[in-house]
Amino acid sequence: MLETAPVARRAVPAPGRRPRLARTAPFVVAGLTALALWIAPLVLDTFAVNVLTRSMIYAVPAVTVDLLWGFAGILTFGQAAFFGVGAYAAAMILNAYGATPLGIAAALATAIAAPALLGLVVGWLSFYHRSTPLYASVISLVVPIVVVQLIYAGGEWTGSSSGLVGFDVLPFEIEGYFRLAALVLVAVTLAAWILVRSDAGRALVALRDNEARCAYLGLNPRRLQILLTAGLAAVAGFAGFLFANASGVVAPENAGFLFGTELVIWVALGGRGTLLGPVLGTIAIDYLAANLSGDLPFLWQLLLGTAFVAIIILLPGGLADLVGRLWRVLPFGRSGPSAPALAAREDGTEPTATDTSILKVQGLAKAYGSLTVLEAIDLEIRAGELVSLVGPNGAGKTTLMRCLSDGTEPFTGSIAVGGTAITGLTPNRIVGLGVGRKFQVASVFESLSVADCLRLARASHDGLNPTGRAATLGLPQAALDVLRMTGLDRRLPEPARLLSHGQKQALELAMVVALEPRLILLDEPTAGLTKAERTTIGRVLKDLTANGRIAAVLVEHDLDFVREISSRIVVLHQGRLVLDGTVEAVVGSELVRTIYSGGAHG
Amino acid sequence: MAEAMTDATAAAARVAPAGAALALDNVASGYGAVSIVKGVSLSVAPGEIVALLGKNGMGKTTLLKTILGMVALRGGGITIDGQALGTLSPAKLVALGVGYAPQEQPLFQDLSIRDNLRLAVPSDRHLPAALERLFGHFPFLKDRLAQRAGTLSGGEQKMLILGRALMLRPRLLLIDEISEGVQPSMVERLRKVLLAERDGGLSMLVVEQHVAFALGLADRYAVLKLGEIVDSGSTKAPDAQARVIDHLAV
Amino acid sequence: MLLTLDILTTAAILFIVSIGLLAIFGVLKIINFAHGAWLTVGAYCAVVTAKLGLNPWLALPLAFLVGAVLGGIAEHFIIRPLYRRPLDAILATWGLGIVVGQLVTLGLGRDVQLTPNLYAGTVAFLGVDYSAYRLVALGIALVIGTMFALAIERTRLGLSARAVIMNETLARSLGIDTGRVRLVVFMIGAGLAALAGVLLTPLTSVDPNMGVAWLIGAFMLVMVADASYLALAAACLVFGAAQVLISTFVSPILGSIAIAVLAALVLRISPKGFSRA
Repeated sequence: MLETAPVARRAVPAPGRRPRLARTAPFVVAGLTALALWIAPLVLDTFAVNVLTRSMIYAVPAVTVDLLWGFAGILTFGQAAFFGVGAYAAAMILNAYGATPLGIAAALATAIAAPALLGLVVGWLSFYHRSTPLYASVISLVVPIVVVQLIYAGGEWTGSSSGLVGFDVLPFEIEGYFRLAALVLVAVTLAAWILVRSDAGRALVALRDNEARCAYLGLNPRRLQILLTAGLAAVAGFAGFLFANASGVVAPENAGFLFGTELVIWVALGGRGTLLGPVLGTIAIDYLAANLSGDLPFLWQLLLGTAFVAIIILLPGGLADLVGRLWRVLPFGRSGPSAPALAAREDGTEPTATDTSILKVQGLAKAYGSLTVLEAIDLEIRAGELVSLVGPNGAGKTTLMRCLSDGTEPFTGSIAVGGTAITGLTPNRIVGLGVGRKFQVASVFESLSVADCLRLARASHDGLNPTGRAATLGLPQAALDVLRMTGLDRRLPEPARLLSHGQKQALELAMVVALEPRLILLDEPTAGLTKAERTTIGRVLKDLTANGRIAAVLVEHDLDFVREISSRIVVLHQGRLVLDGTVEAVVGSELVRTIYSGGAHG
Repeated sequence: MAEAMTDATAAAARVAPAGAALALDNVASGYGAVSIVKGVSLSVAPGEIVALLGKNGMGKTTLLKTILGMVALRGGGITIDGQALGTLSPAKLVALGVGYAPQEQPLFQDLSIRDNLRLAVPSDRHLPAALERLFGHFPFLKDRLAQRAGTLSGGEQKMLILGRALMLRPRLLLIDEISEGVQPSMVERLRKVLLAERDGGLSMLVVEQHVAFALGLADRYAVLKLGEIVDSGSTKAPDAQARVIDHLAV
Repeated sequence: MLLTLDILTTAAILFIVSIGLLAIFGVLKIINFAHGAWLTVGAYCAVVTAKLGLNPWLALPLAFLVGAVLGGIAEHFIIRPLYRRPLDAILATWGLGIVVGQLVTLGLGRDVQLTPNLYAGTVAFLGVDYSAYRLVALGIALVIGTMFALAIERTRLGLSARAVIMNETLARSLGIDTGRVRLVVFMIGAGLAALAGVLLTPLTSVDPNMGVAWLIGAFMLVMVADASYLALAAACLVFGAAQVLISTFVSPILGSIAIAVLAALVLRISPKGFSRA
């Protein structure tokens, strides 16, 4: 399938530049840390060992908060609930069956499975097509409150408001728990570290940056978010299991909303999106709190609250961001960015005979309230066509594009792509039918590198590696051509936000082309571009459609551009399709001249 | 060819007549990484109407918003009555006598006409005099103050937008596509109101796509294309209409 | 009958507690998690008024004033930098709530405070003996609601606030100082919250963390109401009724989570909540 193309490969900065050291370093650091923590109980006093055990267990749900909030952009107060459910599941089962091997196994399994199930439910509630990040946060507030009330209602089972104490626990001394907590924390952090630096980890950031673009690349944002919620609920539940065993007591506070906010505070102060920041932040703050709150309980809370407010306003990246900035000033702190090698990929789509109908629109109408935006639109697009959609402001062009790419838009009439009706289908399913959409304002993943943006565009075809970075990036030849013509192939490791406006437009086009669509929708692809850039985009579009595999529909105001590249022009005016014909027919039309000079009003 | 023309017209306009009501000198602006207006120079003399023509997406509205301080100025300078604009808030501009008739979402559709007008005056005690002026232009609004603005027809809404901009006695008026979607008889009414105001000394920069209306109204015209002025001249020139339509049509 | 009174007075109290949060969310689009802290501050104004031996009703204007001044300071230094980061604003206001709570603790101690009841005793009302204060609270809710409605519908500030809610760009282009509108609305919202704190004192114990208990309920009601005070009144009635009925007939514990759970479900089904009707 993957055909190596020396031509494409040459244009790339030295493939495989990532030195072996960089790949093994996390394991070495994790190993050394685990070793140090193994020895630590020998030199720490009992109080410190006890407190740090708790702090390290708390750091595990803090890592999950960081993955959700810092990477995937979901601000959550709900991890406390999953932690609490895990802790209570463990305590209740150990209370009932004792610390027999079977009891421990059952406790462990339930402490992981119960929060995971709850996480699935919470995820299903929180994420749906067009749900907002705020709504997910709202749900994450409700979950701990509900869980705590259920604990209160649990009577003898849960110990109600006083919690459970005196149940059998794992046969460890306090040093043993310290070492267990340390190993779990190191392992969880290492796994999270590997995940966020893998190709799959880029998908988390992509979700945060631009959920709509993810959907329009054929990924199912909702499923990713729900699975992430459930998976991280299981991890938090496992930490709860450790907590119940190490402390020998569980209380409603362990599942509460306040604990949820504390986790967020620790992550924010340590530095969201850095993993190590939240881990160290949690340990440092919880340890300090244990030492200081005895003497200065309110002053300590006051200082913590003040620091939290100040960090949120002035230093959103937290203390880790500050450290990171200092680090990068140092000469050895800068590591060169790396990118995969490009490779050409055989066109996966079966060649479509020219003239095959790709899109068929019949009697399409759409209204916002009493305002009719589209009316009686009939349109058929065949393979190999490059159709321009023109018309004055408010003619309904962008609305038509939206209806073509999102079946959940309320409209009447029918739209079929390759014979399949799209009514009710979410954008990612329509992408699956072979429709790629390029937005008016370039929609890319600002914090990802050019290569990662393209990698995500291929994810619905090729999947994503969850443990590392693939060394090559296979793209269809047409996408490679776009990159080469616009010079993007030399900027693969750079973050997309550093690209010029024109290059972002080109990158988005390459991403859409990489989807290997049968129909490509472009909303003002040349807006704000220089003349040279417009020419390039025009050539790309002509080449794409020339082989007869792809059809393109483009909304465009620049009629010179339209005239140059179109095979057909469709004119919309006041929501109706008033003209549909060849370039010559439309350009020479008196009707179009009147529409554009303002004479056809009212 | 087009570039040469740009330079020529820009240079001509840069020597803005002293005491221009509005003078733009090589103005540039845009959104984010996108630059929309690329070095526009243009002036409006006191009591003059200048029409700014161009197709969609060429930067006309962005230019108006730049003058109003709603889009950041990236280069060049803007003076109103000889006073250079730094970072004036829209509130200060209203106080300076700059009126604006916007095109996109120009009214609070769910508020009454009276409330829409109240929001445009600095305090309620200015309202009676302002309403007097408004009814002078558009008497039909008198009986309809309590009606929701959204219930007016498209043409009536345009009159409300224009009346609102005029009722504070501005010295400079920026108008964005006031004729859009308005039937011919009403367009004529708008033209008469604007000409009467011009004769009273009001200066205007009128953004339009309706060529006949714009040329019949304005003293001078300029055509904006991809953020640059590609043609300008007197609307009285015999070939003005043909030249403008060549720039606008397919 | 008793049930009807319980429902009405519960809805009234919920409305009093949430209206300040609604004002701020509607205009500023910011969720003010310091709301609980303003409630606490208001309740402590009642404590201070009592300690000074003043008429307990004097606590109402005092609380409004203190809340508004503190709110003004908070808007300027904490909210203003975060308008573009609404999720961060939730966190920063939560942090502010912690700070205020600890300042109250440092200044006035962490113990539960007792305040004189604003209006003690019971009255016979349509055949049942009922807490006089709860009926007074119902009246106060109606007064606050009416005044709020008048302020929104009739005053120039209310008009400007509505203009900012509907279309901030247009409001700004007409010369309205939207920054000032936000500041004043935040001050009023914080003032109303502190006022609500005073009105809660006869119903709940006063301690530095009392506000947090009310925060989530108020927050959920405001989410469902989405910037409309009429929708808020409707939401308070519906969810107040649900809370009372579930507490009475099913279980008080389920009743206490009724608002949060039902509001979350309503939002899941209809993201605009009650405001659409």
